[in-house]
Amino acid sequence: MTLTVVSPVAGAAIPLGAVPDPVFSAALVGPGTAVDPVRAEGTVVSPIAGQVAKLHPHAFVIVGDRGRGVLVHLGIDTVQLGGEGFTLMVDEGDDVDAGTPVVWWDPRQVESGGRSPICPVVALDAPAGEITGRADGHHVAAGDVLFVWE
Amino acid sequence: MTERRVVVGSAVGLHARPAALFVQAATKSGIAVKIAKDGGDPVEARSILAVLSLDVRHGDEVILTADGAGADAALDSLTELLAADLDAAHG
Repeated sequence: MTLTVVSPVAGAAIPLGAVPDPVFSAALVGPGTAVDPVRAEGTVVSPIAGQVAKLHPHAFVIVGDRGRGVLVHLGIDTVQLGGEGFTLMVDEGDDVDAGTPVVWWDPRQVESGGRSPICPVVALDAPAGEITGRADGHHVAAGDVLFVWE
Repeated sequence: MTERRVVVGSAVGLHARPAALFVQAATKSGIAVKIAKDGGDPVEARSILAVLSLDVRHGDEVILTADGAGADAALDSLTELLAADLDAAHG
């Protein structure tokens, strides 16, 4: 059964190869795509329905049906912020739908700290060929289809 | 069963970048390596989802296990990788 992955934030969908981090851009974390977010504070939503498997302020993993996990990483090197500027809206272990608010943040704050606010959205452990229908090159609203996991 | 214990050196633990480098190395070894946080169940070292879910922090001790031919060499190199600050290597 295919899994539709929606964008966690509004912005410009860009290829993973354009992410300014060599490990994400080489798809070493996994295949997927990325969103260059609109520079405004707001909520980040879950990309799929499932359970919050791991929740950090700057990144989270939702595990959906068949144990497929999607990682949303808010900005690059933002682990260094120690959670500052991010507000959690759910707990680890919670069940969420695609589109449920998970974190509140301000990409401008990330950027003014000298870090890229670009958000990789990654299908963990997915063979590259299973990811299709990427919205790369388009503007997406939070909740719009970002890619499909076959 | 071969086992190694190592204290994780990456400055902010096994977050996305160092976890991915570790999983890549484990996968390339061709050996079925498992990783456990002290006291927890071992998980598949070749799964980025499993490794990220372990939530390994800087200074945590992890246990790597593997079986069979090549296990020693594979675990030696993975141990070296984890002990290093994988973020410092990024440039």
